[in-house]
Amino acid sequence: MREKQIDKLKDYKYGFTTDIENIRAPKGLNKEVIEFISKAKKEPKWMLDWRMKAFERLKNLKEPNWQKPKYPKIDYQDIYYYSAPKSTSEKPKNIDELDPKLLETYKKLGIPLQEQQRLNGIAVDAVFDSVSVATTFKDKLNEVGVIFCSISEAIQKHPELVKKYIGSVIPLTDHYFATLNSAVFTDGSFVYIPPGVRCPMELSTYFRINASQTGQFERTLIIADKGSYVSYLEGCTAPMRDENQLHAANVELVALDDAEIKYSTVQNWYPGDEDGKGGIYNFVTKRGLCKGINSKISWTQVETGSAITWKYPSCILQGDNSIGEFYSIAITNNHQKADTGTKMIHLGKNTKSKIISKGISAGFSDMTYRGLVDISSKAKNSTNYTQCDSLLMGNKCGAHTVPYIKNKNPESNIAHEATTSKISEEQLHYCQQRGLNPEEAVGLIVNGFCKEVLQQLPMEFAVEAQKLVGISLEGSVG
Amino acid sequence: MEEQLKIDFEKLLEKSNFSKKNIEIKRKNFNNFIEKGFPNKREENWKFSDLNQIISKNIKNLSFYNDLSKPNKIDQSTFIAGLEHNKLIFVNGRIEKIEFDYEEKNNIEILDDLVLEKPNNANNSLLFLNNAFVSKFFKLIVKKNYSLKKPLVIYNITNKDLVSKSVNLKFDILLEENSSLKLIEFSNDKSTTNFININYNFDVQKNSILKNYKIDNNSNSNIKYYFNNISQDTNSVSEIFLLSSGSEFIKNEINCNLNGKYASAFVNGVFLLNGSKHHEIKTNINHLVENTKSYQLIKSVLEDESKAVYQGKIFVDSKAQKTDGYQLSKAILLNENTEFNAKPELEIYADDVKCSHGSSSGSLNEDSIFYLMSRGLNYKEAKKLLINGFLLDVVEKITDSEIKNLIKNIMSLKQ
Amino acid sequence: MLKIKNLKADIDSKSILNNFNLEIKPGEVHAIMGPNGSGKSTLSNILSGKKGYKVSGEVLFENKNLFELETEERAHKGIFLAFQYPLEIPGVNTNIFLKTSLNAIRKANGEKELDAIEFLKLVKLKAKNLKFDEEKLNRQLNVGFSGGEKKKNEILQMSILNPKLSILDETDSGLDIDALKTVAAGVNSLRKNDNSFLIITHYQRLLDYIKPDYVHVLMNGKIIKSGGPELALELENKGYENFN
Ligand SMILES: Nc1ncnc2c1ncn2[C@@H]1O[C@H](COP(=O)(O)OP(=O)(O)O)[C@@H](O)[C@H]1O
Ligand SMILES: [Mg+2]
Repeated sequence: MREKQIDKLKDYKYGFTTDIENIRAPKGLNKEVIEFISKAKKEPKWMLDWRMKAFERLKNLKEPNWQKPKYPKIDYQDIYYYSAPKSTSEKPKNIDELDPKLLETYKKLGIPLQEQQRLNGIAVDAVFDSVSVATTFKDKLNEVGVIFCSISEAIQKHPELVKKYIGSVIPLTDHYFATLNSAVFTDGSFVYIPPGVRCPMELSTYFRINASQTGQFERTLIIADKGSYVSYLEGCTAPMRDENQLHAANVELVALDDAEIKYSTVQNWYPGDEDGKGGIYNFVTKRGLCKGINSKISWTQVETGSAITWKYPSCILQGDNSIGEFYSIAITNNHQKADTGTKMIHLGKNTKSKIISKGISAGFSDMTYRGLVDISSKAKNSTNYTQCDSLLMGNKCGAHTVPYIKNKNPESNIAHEATTSKISEEQLHYCQQRGLNPEEAVGLIVNGFCKEVLQQLPMEFAVEAQKLVGISLEGSVG
Repeated sequence: MEEQLKIDFEKLLEKSNFSKKNIEIKRKNFNNFIEKGFPNKREENWKFSDLNQIISKNIKNLSFYNDLSKPNKIDQSTFIAGLEHNKLIFVNGRIEKIEFDYEEKNNIEILDDLVLEKPNNANNSLLFLNNAFVSKFFKLIVKKNYSLKKPLVIYNITNKDLVSKSVNLKFDILLEENSSLKLIEFSNDKSTTNFININYNFDVQKNSILKNYKIDNNSNSNIKYYFNNISQDTNSVSEIFLLSSGSEFIKNEINCNLNGKYASAFVNGVFLLNGSKHHEIKTNINHLVENTKSYQLIKSVLEDESKAVYQGKIFVDSKAQKTDGYQLSKAILLNENTEFNAKPELEIYADDVKCSHGSSSGSLNEDSIFYLMSRGLNYKEAKKLLINGFLLDVVEKITDSEIKNLIKNIMSLKQ
Repeated sequence: MLKIKNLKADIDSKSILNNFNLEIKPGEVHAIMGPNGSGKSTLSNILSGKKGYKVSGEVLFENKNLFELETEERAHKGIFLAFQYPLEIPGVNTNIFLKTSLNAIRKANGEKELDAIEFLKLVKLKAKNLKFDEEKLNRQLNVGFSGGEKKKNEILQMSILNPKLSILDETDSGLDIDALKTVAAGVNSLRKNDNSFLIITHYQRLLDYIKPDYVHVLMNGKIIKSGGPELALELENKGYENFN
């Protein structure tokens, strides 16, 4: 009956490659490569020592295998651990001096870096493969004492802060990928908000993988000192390639007394083609420590890209009265796989956490929500509320919910609810009767399904994310 | 322990007259058990209950050979009063009496020395142990179109003579088409620190109804593991109710395969724990064809240092469209050192399904207590009233009214 | 405008409509009355393109075979169904839904899409005419609306989309008398030479406010009698049971 051709191939508009000359470390994982990275970044000795410690530790660790999505064995000796555009070997002082090819790339990605065209109210740190190529609005942020720069720069200029906090939330020995990252991390962002400061603009990092056969090992560290507030957003894209590339990030957040960090992610790495060839392995460790009393960390993620997504942005609620939140939309289509969720570890008194997770699977994809809520015996009067909803589109895909719930405190309450369903025929019919085609109808209903999470995103990105939700499901109806 | 196991196993083979084939299968199982040992928390399934540790902490000098040659006295006072019923009586793991006074003899059949036919491929070390050491393997067949007139009670009685033993029992229960059975498993333990390992296999054929009530209510120091495997054909119904309260440790595993359309499974349970008791229920409900239904409701009330665990999984095959699956677990923690762990899991591969789960745990609602106290009750009374209400909700799910009343009596006796 | 010939509809091999015939000309208002379960909603569902029925026969809308069109294409051509049970769509803002819908239809007809300001102006006006509380338009579609509010919301959508053929499936049930009058006024204000209506109802009450040109009695899947407005009164007096 339906004559219209639905284009099965979803349009990944960030799939282009920038043709640029690179400096690379030799392929492989060894001492020399780690030294190369450390030297390229002009790191002090303590940092190199720290990396080496992680590398030693890595030898005794095995890759975890409890996750649902299995992947072919990764040959860690067949990856480039460092790749940077040649033109950035001396980081230009002024953004206008940046290689025009890089400027053009970011413009194409919708993130103009130059003074005149910058996004209003948003400071951007642009990470290209293994280096940060530019950070905007630095001066303006400096005026209020906010430090926003690449982690490489922070290691040189603010060693006392980095030394104090790096590895304090994700210990060097945590697990295979976290330890790997600690040994070979390349770039990422560093944020420090001084006491009492409300960061005057949104901070954001835009991660771009460009070079082939290269892994990206992001390291981000955000510290919100007493009584401060910051909202931070990261975005990610990569070219279309038929190889799998690894993005193994460590992100650490520390919120001191009365501080609040809002961390949002719009993850749109290349997901692979419709047969499941290529795409990014997004194996990420994100953890926030609510160290001080009354502190708050809120994670929001929109995960639409990557061949495999494997991440659990977590909160350790150490300070009394601290609050952890996790809002997630994860969409898998074609052959994508995701195993994502969060951990809420309640240690302090009167701590609260909230988890809202919306999973949508279509095509041949597979999606797992995995989460842990752990209320320790000392965490008196604490509460968690969890709501996990899954939508399935078709019967070739899977949707799974695996919550671990531990309550050791009689004065604390945990409530967990989960549902799995599909978009009802009646809802589709209703929308179509009002003139929407099936894809528009699905887009609308799915956006409604995700509303609670979309609302958490900063205004500027909510619209973008809504469109992404629609695009990610293209070809899954009919 | 390995030494003891080997000695006891050889002793068992020597004292029994198992067939050659049976011995061969038993040896295989024995070797598998030796290789795997008791499960520990590194196994996902045993994450919340480290059996290896629990056994070594609670049982000194566990031995595996049980002399079943001499009959045991049956303590009549343990019988359920006020309920006409058939009886299968085990004392210290030995069958002492089979009594089907209320039934048409040609419509039921009992076999008592079945040989293990299939090797166990569940990779469950406790089933290996069970297969290796079980001395008699029972099978009950309820014939086509026959409904037992009265419930069957399987008494598992242990007395003071049983100390630090591993007891293994195995039953197959076949409900042929259009038949029905109400089965009460009633435990009464006066023994100390044994490991009791019971394996049930239920085959519920077309249009048949199985009602299975498991009652473990008197405090004792035994460690117990039940593995219940249920396979259900078209239009069949299984209803399971657990009152899990008496033993030091119990893990009830229920694996239910809904193989026929319109089959439905109900699992309801009450965990009422005090002292250092630690009980777990682990369910796997597999929806394998269209139009099947499952419903689970588990409630726990925890006192002292007790701990309850609910691990429940609903699996929906891609063929199993129109599945209706539901699970809810709730716990009230009454003391500082209690603990409730849950892992309610959904694994779903079909889109036209209605599946949901919920779990909540925490304190008694202080507002409700306050309300009741404002109506004149003291704190203790108010608390008791609320807890009774909380648990009654599960007991009300029992569809057999006679047995429902029995269980209500047992529970209120206790409080 | 609409020609239904020999329509037969089954669901799960159960026959619901059989040998159903009806013709509606531009500008006409037809009312269909019939007992519960006689197939009224089935008819409106089939006209709107709902899946799940086995249909045969012929339905022409402006001389085009309706069965060749998808649900949304029928909507683009001007068929509107006010559902008997309007659905709730969680998370979807009512205003945004309305705007998306209106623009989808305008776009399909080669008309300019309305921007947010033009749209809001239009909605404000229509909502005011229908005494529809504007604040409700910022809520999720039909979520938490009362039965009557849902029905009014359907009529609001109708007046905004300005369809050629409006099918009202028991829009009057669940409305109080004031709401009934406003709904009727809404319908009447849309009555034009080229707009037609198919009004499905149990009660003659609504027909006091919307004067139909024709009344049909539907029983057991077919029209057993047709006539003018007086037929509705007769039906009201006798009841369906004694009608034959
Ligand atoms: N999805 C369905 N499956 C089976 N029977 C249905 C279905 N929908 C409607 N019917 C049956 O079709 C008949 C007509 O229903 P309907 O068109 O809703 O009646 P009305 O709107 O006139 O009250 C009724 O007998 C009803 O039970
Ligand atoms: Mg109707």
